[in-house]
Amino acid sequence: MGIWIQISPGADKPIYIQVAEQIAEAIAKNQLSVGDKLPAVRKLAAELVINPNTVARSYTILEQAGLVTTKTGSGTFVADPKLRSSDAADLNLLSERIDTIIARGLNLGLEPENMVSLFKARLEGFVKKQESEIK
Amino acid sequence: MRFLMLVRKELRQSLPWLLLGAVSLMAIAGCILWLQVRYSIYDSYDSYRSTSRYFDITRHPPLQAIGPVLLITSLALGLILGIQHFWMPHFKQTWSFLLHRSVSRKTIFMAKLTAAALGFVMSLGIVWLALYFYGYHSANVPAPPVLRVFVEGCIFMMLGLVVYLATAVTGLSTARWYTTKIFPLLFTPVVIVATVCQWKLAGAFAVIIVGVVILLSQALEIISNREF
Amino acid sequence: MNDIVLETKGLTKYYRRTLAVDHLDLKIPRGSICGFVGRNGAGKTTAIKLILGLLNPTTGSSTVLGCDSAELKPSIRQRIGYVTEGHRLFRWMTIGEIEKFQRPFFPKQWDGKFFTDMIDYFELSRKRKIKHLSNGQRAQVSLALALAPHPELLIMDDPTLGLDAAIRRQFLEGMIGLITRQGKTILFSSHILGDVERVADRIAVIDKGVLRANCSLEQFQKAVKKVMLSFTDSVPAEIDIDGLLHCRRSQKELELVLVGADEEQITAWAQKSGADKHQITKMTLEDQFIEYTAPPDHKKLFQWEEL
Repeated sequence: MGIWIQISPGADKPIYIQVAEQIAEAIAKNQLSVGDKLPAVRKLAAELVINPNTVARSYTILEQAGLVTTKTGSGTFVADPKLRSSDAADLNLLSERIDTIIARGLNLGLEPENMVSLFKARLEGFVKKQESEIK
Repeated sequence: MRFLMLVRKELRQSLPWLLLGAVSLMAIAGCILWLQVRYSIYDSYDSYRSTSRYFDITRHPPLQAIGPVLLITSLALGLILGIQHFWMPHFKQTWSFLLHRSVSRKTIFMAKLTAAALGFVMSLGIVWLALYFYGYHSANVPAPPVLRVFVEGCIFMMLGLVVYLATAVTGLSTARWYTTKIFPLLFTPVVIVATVCQWKLAGAFAVIIVGVVILLSQALEIISNREF
Repeated sequence: MNDIVLETKGLTKYYRRTLAVDHLDLKIPRGSICGFVGRNGAGKTTAIKLILGLLNPTTGSSTVLGCDSAELKPSIRQRIGYVTEGHRLFRWMTIGEIEKFQRPFFPKQWDGKFFTDMIDYFELSRKRKIKHLSNGQRAQVSLALALAPHPELLIMDDPTLGLDAAIRRQFLEGMIGLITRQGKTILFSSHILGDVERVADRIAVIDKGVLRANCSLEQFQKAVKKVMLSFTDSVPAEIDIDGLLHCRRSQKELELVLVGADEEQITAWAQKSGADKHQITKMTLEDQFIEYTAPPDHKKLFQWEEL
């Protein structure tokens, strides 16, 4: 797999969330393309030295979010984004993350308008980068 | 296969002590015998009258002096092997490793006992055999080797095994001193004295067998109690 | 195949008058890695020895792989790997000799190549005597001996005590390597909660011989919470919230450690008691364990004095 997963036990999030989020990020950044096969649960568990059940849970979360699909016997593959549908749980998670960023920004003393422009700039840059990579 | 591996392990572990026992016996007893034979410092067989109630072994000139040496070496070796097999695992904390095994605890005990018995035969037994023949061969004694004397030497070695079993019982028992441990301490000297006091070989064997049976059943019971 | 690999019922052990293990009711399902945690002297080693039938319980029973621990058949013992406390092995043997010794006791299962590979990986020579090995190297040999027969149940008694981080990681790798095979189960006692957090999916907490928790790791981590509350007026005198483990007060702040309370209950209580702000702070597993096993009125060793 072309991505590097780093886990830290005892961090804010449980390990299975860390793994799921890092894979999700890799998919978003196009480090993993549609149809790419994720490593087998056991293999990833052995590499990261974590419980295979933890990896299995991460994959389940990703599947529930529509980011990956599991074909019994073959493995877990990155799903087609067009077939995804985000649901309330996804949006909740996203909202929480946005809250964290907002809190950070306000703590730093940024004005709300500055934060919005910052966000817009980053979003545009991100989309541009994705499009250039697809080409 | 597993039993043999256990016996092999115990024997291999005891090898230094077995060698030491054999060499000591050979050296001390051999010296005494050699001196006796060389300087003919014994009375002739005919003139020797036994007035003691003790073992015949002290009656036969060439082997007269080394009887006690053989007895003491046997008892010492029994004690040392008993300590090595049953006390050291407590100090080195290796009981857990040894006892979690796909054989019963009784089998593990019997393997240790078998190794001790084989050890006696291989070390002291062979040396005693050599001394026995040397004693008769070199002596100016108009008498053929008396088998009884050899058997008496073997009985001394069996007393060593009795001491081994007694040491095993004290080592296995986790009870306080004034309960299970005191029994072997008192019982063993009684067995030893009772054996050497016998006139007849049959009597000596009987005493030893009784002693061994009692100590062995105690040991097997304690090891099955799973107190450690 | 039985779903429950290990079960104890009311397992109790007295050493003369000291209670070492107090009515332990433990259940471990197949396929799990259970972290057995407790303070020094809490009774972990005694419990493990009782489970393995190396000790006689005072009362209660224990069943391993469907067999009573008091009468563990040799055929069952063959399926259980055991790493003893302190990794005590026969010091006079060489590594090669101890492998030769161990082999016949696992006639069909012993994986000689696996053992050799591990020993080579640890850069140990088969001719080295165990007494010449360091603690860490002896632990490595102990691990290789336990894993070579690919046991169905692996029980490890504080396997990483006193070992450096690299060797601790090797133990974790060995455990994950085993668990990825079908149908294996691991029970390990540990003081290193970071390791438990990493590889365990179940946790059993023992405190003074009593089993205080036996659940999935996630449940435990979700259950033990620390809540910080601040008040403009004074802190309430009575704390009547369910599941209170500890509370620490200062003039305007209150720190509560709770077990089993969910967010709604906490919010409701915070409002009821008139707190301005409240926040559930994240606890590491180590924090949670310390709070969970601390006595009710425990204070920190050094108190900060306001000057």
